[in-house]
Amino acid sequence: MENFTMLLEGFTVVLTVQNVLVVLLGAVLGLIVGAMPGIGSLAGVALLLPLTYKFNPTTAIIMLGSLYYANMYGGAFSAILLNIPGDSPAVMTALDGYPMATKRNRPGQALFTSNMSSFIGGLIGMIILTFTGPALANLGLKFGPAEMTALLLVAMTSIGWLVGENPTKGVILTLVGILVASMGMDTLTGSPRFDFGNIYLLGGIPFTPFVIGTVGFSQVLKLMQDRNKKVEANLSQKLTIKGSMLTLHDIKRLLPPAIRSGFLGTFVGVLPGAGATTGSFMGYAMQKAFKSEEELGTGAIEGIAACESANNAAAAGSFAPLLALGIPGSGTGAVLLGGLMMWGLNPGPLLFSSQPEFCWGLIASLFLANLITLIIAVGIIPFMIRILTVPVKILVPCITVVCIVGSYSTSNSMYGVLVMFFSGLFGYVLDRNGYSTAPMLLAFVLAPLLESNMRKSFISSHGSLDIFFQKPIAAFLILVLFAIILTPVIKFALKKIRPAQKSS
Amino acid sequence: MQKKKITSKMLIPVFSASAAVLFISFGYVKYGFWHPTRGPLPGFFPVIIGSILLVMSVLGFITSLSEEGTDYPLENWYPAFGAVLVMLATLVIGMLPSLAIFVVLWLKWYEKYPWKTTLIVFAVIMGIVVGAFVFWLGVPFPKGIIYDLIFN
Repeated sequence: MENFTMLLEGFTVVLTVQNVLVVLLGAVLGLIVGAMPGIGSLAGVALLLPLTYKFNPTTAIIMLGSLYYANMYGGAFSAILLNIPGDSPAVMTALDGYPMATKRNRPGQALFTSNMSSFIGGLIGMIILTFTGPALANLGLKFGPAEMTALLLVAMTSIGWLVGENPTKGVILTLVGILVASMGMDTLTGSPRFDFGNIYLLGGIPFTPFVIGTVGFSQVLKLMQDRNKKVEANLSQKLTIKGSMLTLHDIKRLLPPAIRSGFLGTFVGVLPGAGATTGSFMGYAMQKAFKSEEELGTGAIEGIAACESANNAAAAGSFAPLLALGIPGSGTGAVLLGGLMMWGLNPGPLLFSSQPEFCWGLIASLFLANLITLIIAVGIIPFMIRILTVPVKILVPCITVVCIVGSYSTSNSMYGVLVMFFSGLFGYVLDRNGYSTAPMLLAFVLAPLLESNMRKSFISSHGSLDIFFQKPIAAFLILVLFAIILTPVIKFALKKIRPAQKSS
Repeated sequence: MQKKKITSKMLIPVFSASAAVLFISFGYVKYGFWHPTRGPLPGFFPVIIGSILLVMSVLGFITSLSEEGTDYPLENWYPAFGAVLVMLATLVIGMLPSLAIFVVLWLKWYEKYPWKTTLIVFAVIMGIVVGAFVFWLGVPFPKGIIYDLIFN
């Protein structure tokens, strides 16, 4: 009940003209960026980060939160209408969304199903967040440096080890991200470190240009490959709001998978490294175990509802560890965390007690963003085709310009542009070679926290590793860490053993 | 025996291993690893991370030997060339005119769009840049040598 009261107080923070307009702006931009194939939520949030500098921290993060959240809605539009997922969580949506739009000739209903399910999943995720966030923070208060070190290692390893096809590559980039973050000032003593005599490096690698380059500018270079592809919608009818409405029977089909996946997605979202994409995949997989009126993959409403609800619930759920423990669940979460730190807020167990108006304002803003995004998402259905078919040839110079001005504006110097440029080239080369940059971003953001906690642990234990095994929470987390590290190793070993057994 | 071609998949672990060696040596020699009474020194954490990175880079290099190389189409680098030209032109004519010229040249000269489309996109993107970054955020974009010569 106390949480509910705090949530209501959060609404009093959010319901100012400025904050409502900011949620609205975040929702519109998030929908557009999320819907445009090839940009995605990570690049979208990174590119729009400089626009929030003018706001106070609460308003700024409210805008980023609604932007991130609306992105989840937007990704489904291009998946359904063009069979091109806006970002990775929408991959599963395309399986039933596109056939429903083209073969069953119900594009508007497919979009409406996606919007409604996103709303339901998000709502479930937010309600659970309202009650679990503070509980998680209370648990976090029991964490000392040893527990925090173990938790941060779990978060970093799970993303580095599990994201992408090759764990070795994920871990290499995680470690590179940590070393890049260690340049500048020593976290505990404040003395210069790895500045190599350069006055700019003394302040470290600036976060925003680094992120804009790694995910935004590298995306421009990747987009060049698709610039001659013609994007056309294979629809036989004009999209209207009235013609997109669902029947009562459709709603009856939509509700059970949307509610089930809402709970599953929230649980997945809370786990570090899992995120909206895993939520979407698991939601769809779970639906296979239940009865669907039409076969999944042929344009079934249940298929769209399951994955869209799960990915939005996961997006909402991921705010629980982000706010309560300072652990982001994905690359986009890492950018949000970096944004919080830039504004002087330190997410972690104390945030709920030291900055309650901020925490509850943010949670309340997610509720508001969910509702506003639903209304806008339904309202822009008739214009969606025009937004989706903006040629890549036009996007390339536009995103390049935004990358340059965005990175300049963070430091008012060309140093920011240079950091953006080189990290963009680096991100592009990494992508071409099968390296996912998300672990590097996460490590970059979390490295100072990991270092200070690790050093504090060793100071208090006089250099003994026992400190990580003496306390139950730390010991449990270290066990989880070993399990994460060993999982791909065992999988790899089993893969090698099984064919050998078969052939013998 | 067939000679294995060097690919960027092999070069990335080599690069990360070199970075690891750099951080280990600087961390250990310049910043220090451990002090008997004060405990871990500024080099402590980078040395540990660098050491793990070195091991992982060796593993990454071994894995890369069995992987196919990748190509880098020249066309994909064009935006990077464009960005370099914008940065150089910024020194002379300032950032906003450089960006404006970049957008027009890209759309009209490289993509061969008609003037109408070029000018619409130009107006939209420059409207966002000027509206959001100049008027709203108040970013003082560099004005270049020519502006400084004339007005200062």
